[in-house]
Amino acid sequence: MMPALKAFADRLLGRGDATITVPSFDGALKPNQILEKAETIGQFDAPEDLATDGKALYIADGSTVLRLDGTVTTEVRRFERTITALCCLPDGGMAAALDGREVRVFATPSASSPRATVSDPALNAINALSPGPQGTLIATDGSTTRPYRQWVYDLMERGRTGKVLSLDIASGSVRPIASGLSFAFGACAAGEDVLVSESWRHRLIAVAADGSQRAVLDNLPVYPSRLSPAASGGFWLTAFAARTQLVEFVLRENAYRRRMITEIDPEYWIAPKLKSGQSFLEPMQGAHIKTMGVVKPWAPPRSYGLVIRLDANGVPLYAVHSRVDGVNHGVVAAVEIDGSLFALAKGPGRLLRMPLSLIEQELRA
Amino acid sequence: MSDIILALRNATKLYAGVAAIENVDFELRRGEIHALVGENGAGKSTLTKVMAGVVTLTSGTMQVDGVEAAPRTPLEARHLGIAMVFQENSLVPTMTVAQNLFLGQERFYNRLRGIYIAAQQFLQSLNFDVTPTATVGLLGAAKKQMVEIARAVLHEAKVIIFDEPTATLTPEEKKYFFDLVRDLKRRGVSIVFISHALEEALILADRITILRDGKHVVTDDAVNFDRARIVQAMVGRDLSNTLYGTRKSTVRPAGARVLTVQNLKMAPMVRNNSLSVFAGQITGVFGLVGAGRTETFKVVAGVLKRDFFHGGEVILHGKPVRYRVPAPAVRAGIAYVTEDRKVEGFFETMSVARNIYLGLLAKVPGGRFFLSRREADKVGTTWVKKLNVRATGNDMKVVELSGGNQQKVVIAKSLVQDPDLIIFDEPTRGVDVGAIVEIHELIQRLADEGKAVVVISSYLPEIMALSDRILVSRQGKVVEEFSALEATEEKIMYAAVH
Repeated sequence: MMPALKAFADRLLGRGDATITVPSFDGALKPNQILEKAETIGQFDAPEDLATDGKALYIADGSTVLRLDGTVTTEVRRFERTITALCCLPDGGMAAALDGREVRVFATPSASSPRATVSDPALNAINALSPGPQGTLIATDGSTTRPYRQWVYDLMERGRTGKVLSLDIASGSVRPIASGLSFAFGACAAGEDVLVSESWRHRLIAVAADGSQRAVLDNLPVYPSRLSPAASGGFWLTAFAARTQLVEFVLRENAYRRRMITEIDPEYWIAPKLKSGQSFLEPMQGAHIKTMGVVKPWAPPRSYGLVIRLDANGVPLYAVHSRVDGVNHGVVAAVEIDGSLFALAKGPGRLLRMPLSLIEQELRA
Repeated sequence: MSDIILALRNATKLYAGVAAIENVDFELRRGEIHALVGENGAGKSTLTKVMAGVVTLTSGTMQVDGVEAAPRTPLEARHLGIAMVFQENSLVPTMTVAQNLFLGQERFYNRLRGIYIAAQQFLQSLNFDVTPTATVGLLGAAKKQMVEIARAVLHEAKVIIFDEPTATLTPEEKKYFFDLVRDLKRRGVSIVFISHALEEALILADRITILRDGKHVVTDDAVNFDRARIVQAMVGRDLSNTLYGTRKSTVRPAGARVLTVQNLKMAPMVRNNSLSVFAGQITGVFGLVGAGRTETFKVVAGVLKRDFFHGGEVILHGKPVRYRVPAPAVRAGIAYVTEDRKVEGFFETMSVARNIYLGLLAKVPGGRFFLSRREADKVGTTWVKKLNVRATGNDMKVVELSGGNQQKVVIAKSLVQDPDLIIFDEPTRGVDVGAIVEIHELIQRLADEGKAVVVISSYLPEIMALSDRILVSRQGKVVEEFSALEATEEKIMYAAVH
């Protein structure tokens, strides 16, 4: 009885669990336009993930894996299904997740047949792969109820079925490391632990080998996605959308959400998107986005682009942004090669390049 | 008729045997603006209080219009044509603006409506945007100051004494104030004004008198002074390069996020405000008066309450908190050093040691049961020494200290709680140059020790000299953030007003 009364009071007064607030982009996350002004070096139809072996950059685009040489892309291999995650292995191999349900490991990126295939009923929405200890692969599975492409359904259903899995390449066995996560989306080894993005809880957690979890970075103003190591130590963390009070409000209104899911085209849901500004039917995000025909960069965003540089302890050092008035939104992957940061903006389907020296120069200015 | 309207000869005032002023000679000419400058404790306030009848001289004489006078009360001084606008305002907080303006001029039958109309017309003539029906206690510091100034003007004084009149005013309001003072001068009113903003003295004054340690140092035409000469005369040492002169070349990196404020609302001052404060950094918060800076941090510290419905969130060390009173905030490691030290900072009739000890007791639940005079003395002595509070002893009442030393007591009262997050609200308002340097050094030291430090200030050079990152607040929310390396006065001011 008392919890019910408390929940009612909280909803009425906007307190406790019903507090509808979002943190601001400040400190290390202070907005800039670096990502928006980044050089576009490729345009793709359905880009999903990036991977690097330290020399070349590989792009998962639909069902094909492409290699970038300078500004020229060449097809490395083609699958029969959509690639949902890609990673290069320390031994020169490559792993790809197909449709989120199967992981194939190749001895080299261009090898004709897979060295191992992990196909387990436990796999449903594999969205990120990362090399693990002792020849294993760390995979994040966003949801056990929805396929990867239906991530927005998982958010609106407040899914908490995400998992972190350890895939044994040799045996093909799957071992869950952590479960009950709110859309696990991205993992990266950090010493003994694995850093994992938990998108719907806007945080980064460290998962130990025994499965214990520790929040490394909490209460982010964004939906974090994939992680990759930075050359000078630390990590690159991408975010595919930013939080708004309107979406937070909708996420607390169960009846509204149920009706929205059944009655409205998902394109026009009040939900984060990878790109926006395509139609006047898109819902406003709680403020005027345009004034005198000019899009306000600080308006509450429907879509957003962000890459955060973290130090080895997961503390943000700086971030590069594409704000509301930009187009390089829905960033789902970023890797560092040869002093440049490559980011994949899934919204417009662009591969972006930013020399690190230029980023530092811009941030100093 | 003599050119000298007010003169003091060999003026000496002793407090418990200690000279606040000693053999001071002072002359005020008819229709001149005379700036009185000196460190805190130099005797400026005492000298002006003698003129205004707040205190009487121990020895020496005072002449008004060539006639010897010794006003014993402010009312007697007012009858002599001398009015004073106090540094710590002397308004009745429960009365309206109009009632305060006409306080002491009541008739047998007062028609409230008539008072309000007269006050409205008078305030408009001064170009002051203050509602005459507003209760003074609910006004911000700047508006209170305006009422004080208006009251002095209303009394048609021949001599008006302003004690730190511009400390709480925004740049625009300062401009109005300067115009007002020049207008008063044109009407033949003589002005004495105390200011720690030396530029103001140089711009506004016809003559400048400098006091040091209760003694007269020099009086000269303002054109013969520059900033360096004033500072040197004030403190006997060159401070010009140590205060606001240098620009930051490095900033401290941000540590862990200590405080997050999310969509905080406290109508009408705070509107959907969001910000973060990090450990090991000084976060400067700049804004014009009314920008909601003080109110935001008062909500954080439990001094004020946020809106009842959907008031937003305060997150301390990753956990949502909501303090309805300051005590739990103090226990959680938040210290708020108030901007209004006289009202909120200390108990003025209690000793320095007791005041500091109270800060310690506030951290202990049921602390009042552990009162110990010996412990109070010990704590007091430690902090008086640490912060270099210039007092004759631990038993000295705080009211008897100068503004700068009072501020140090307020700071000590907070630091004794060993907080993680320290919020300094206008830390050097009404504080002399020497004490400013000491307080700034202390603030820097706290950040170096890894504390999360917030400095709220309306004085841009102070914000720029202290801060590692600068948040600019406007109309109840933070609208811009600058790194100290990229910030310029122009950029900050542009963000604050546009």
